[in-house]
Amino acid sequence: MISFWFRGMIRDKARFLFPFTVVTIGVALVVCLVGFMEGVFMGMIDMTANLDSGHLRLVNQSFYDEEHLRPLDRSLANQRETRDWLVKHSDPEVDWAPRIRWGAILDVPDEKSETRSQTPVVGMAMDLKSPDSEEIQRLRLKSSLVQGTLPKGSNEMLMGFQLAEVLDVSVGQPITLIGQSFDGGLVADNYQVVGLVRFGITAMDKKMVLIDLASAQSTFYMEDMVTDWLGYFPSGVNFDHYEEVKGSMKVGLANWSPPKDWAKDDSPIILSIRDQQNIGAIMDKFQVIKGFVVGVFTFLMILVLWNAGILSGIHRYGEMGLRLAFGEPHWKLILTLAMEGLWVGILGSLAGSLLGGSFAWYLQEVGLNMGDSFAQSGLMINDIVRARVTVGGFIQGIVPGIFASVAGTLVASMAIFKRSEANLFRELEAG
Amino acid sequence: MSENLITLEHVSKVYRVGEENFSALNDVSLEVSKGAFMSFVGPSGSGKTTLLNLIGGLDRPTTGKVLFKGTDLENMSRDKLAAYRRENIGFIFQTYNLLPVYSVYENVLFPLILNGLKENQVRERVEAMVAKVGLQDQINKKPAQLSGGQCQRVAIARALVKDPLLILADEPTANLDSENSHQILNLMQTLNQEFKAAVIFSTHDEKVTRYIRREVKLEDGRISWDKPRNGTEIET
Repeated sequence: MISFWFRGMIRDKARFLFPFTVVTIGVALVVCLVGFMEGVFMGMIDMTANLDSGHLRLVNQSFYDEEHLRPLDRSLANQRETRDWLVKHSDPEVDWAPRIRWGAILDVPDEKSETRSQTPVVGMAMDLKSPDSEEIQRLRLKSSLVQGTLPKGSNEMLMGFQLAEVLDVSVGQPITLIGQSFDGGLVADNYQVVGLVRFGITAMDKKMVLIDLASAQSTFYMEDMVTDWLGYFPSGVNFDHYEEVKGSMKVGLANWSPPKDWAKDDSPIILSIRDQQNIGAIMDKFQVIKGFVVGVFTFLMILVLWNAGILSGIHRYGEMGLRLAFGEPHWKLILTLAMEGLWVGILGSLAGSLLGGSFAWYLQEVGLNMGDSFAQSGLMINDIVRARVTVGGFIQGIVPGIFASVAGTLVASMAIFKRSEANLFRELEAG
Repeated sequence: MSENLITLEHVSKVYRVGEENFSALNDVSLEVSKGAFMSFVGPSGSGKTTLLNLIGGLDRPTTGKVLFKGTDLENMSRDKLAAYRRENIGFIFQTYNLLPVYSVYENVLFPLILNGLKENQVRERVEAMVAKVGLQDQINKKPAQLSGGQCQRVAIARALVKDPLLILADEPTANLDSENSHQILNLMQTLNQEFKAAVIFSTHDEKVTRYIRREVKLEDGRISWDKPRNGTEIET
């Protein structure tokens, strides 16, 4: 029976082509839009995590409270013990990376060693020289280098290329960092710019300087100390898992006997990416917006398909009457219509997924350069925004596509329930 | 004496039209035997279609009983009435009501599909039925490619293919020219004798009268006469 009605459905353009096209376009738009939104948002989250927040972060509470001041005296000592504790008490998949967030005045001397220009900078120190360090890969530094090399020796510096342009600095330029040491004293240390980096994030290209962790510890008198431990999960791990691991680490943290060199008032806290920079609230809003977008598209599809169903009902008025007269029960008639809706939904969703998925894939591979728009925004977002093709994106397109098709058909079929057999002869004679 | 297929006992049907009651049938009693070949005649509004509705289980009487082989249709649920039509009744309409996207073969197959039969089980039966109405050469054509007479032949094949006990034919020749009307009536008469399905026409058409064996005339919802006819126009 199904094949019989399916044959009729495929042949009848009025009852197949229009709803099929609506579902295809609707699903394609949802898949593409969700892919693009996911790509932009997750790109921003990934970038924030890689550069700044980690997926998990261990930091001294007092440092975190005054983070904007870079209070290096609130750093955490005893790297090895701290790392051992983190590895033991977190998920084995997490890679822990020590970082120092620092701030300083960057002094560019001329050939007579007199100040040519100065600017305050925010900097990050990370392990750029250990062979097993993931940091270079994490920040894609090799591919981001526009000039020079990565630091190999001590007191070598990578600089955002736009900052270098502003300061008129090129590779090989000596630089003096003037800042505050761990214990509050003034420090001045000489560095050499060995590479210019295009992070792809305008805010960072304009302001960021990277140095090796060991050099920073030497410059700021922070032997065996870091300001942060950032934890990274492999890609694809759900955000909920971050929270689970954070929860279990919090329990461990409460029972932790701190290493011997820690200050008495050191009070480390564990944060997930959601806890930082208002990202949790942004994520929740993003989910609401995404749900709203999918909901609106689904509603619109139902609306259009409902109307298509009504038009089809008029177009097939005679057929429905005939089927009722010939003894097809109302419920079965509606069931076959729902099956048709299901088929249209499935075929339209597949076609829409292919179409929307292809476009999303193109946007994922090629991306869209929005650097000009982001230039003044300060957002930690890549200039080239990319879609992200995910199974979830397809599900969010396909399920509403099928639902809308069946729901639209069923709503339109309600008239069949009300149709009285007593009038069928007259109606059918009317042609 | 023939066994009764349909029995109507003091059947009345009243419709509510606005504030008024309209009596479409008034105390009609009637028996239809198995294999009957008969017609309801009468002017518009005389109650012919209402009578077909009641016999076909498409409507229920206001008072009285409609019995099918002794079973009161009144006691049947909506689904049971649908099953009654599906299994026992074939319909033929003035405007053919063929499904336009399906071929001749598929249109004839359609009632069997509704009865839950699989296409591969009934393919030969459908092809044989199409051949009986003389359309074997047109079997893959769509209704739009057929003449009016050919469409009505398809409708006849569709009504008969499930081997029903009763066929209700509402003005089957009204849209056909004289020659096609005679051909269709001849065909129906032949098939009535072959398949033993009772056929009830509802018609204005004088030509039908020459083929049937019984004529029931309705006026104002009442039977004004019920008389036998010789049905001599059969061509074999």
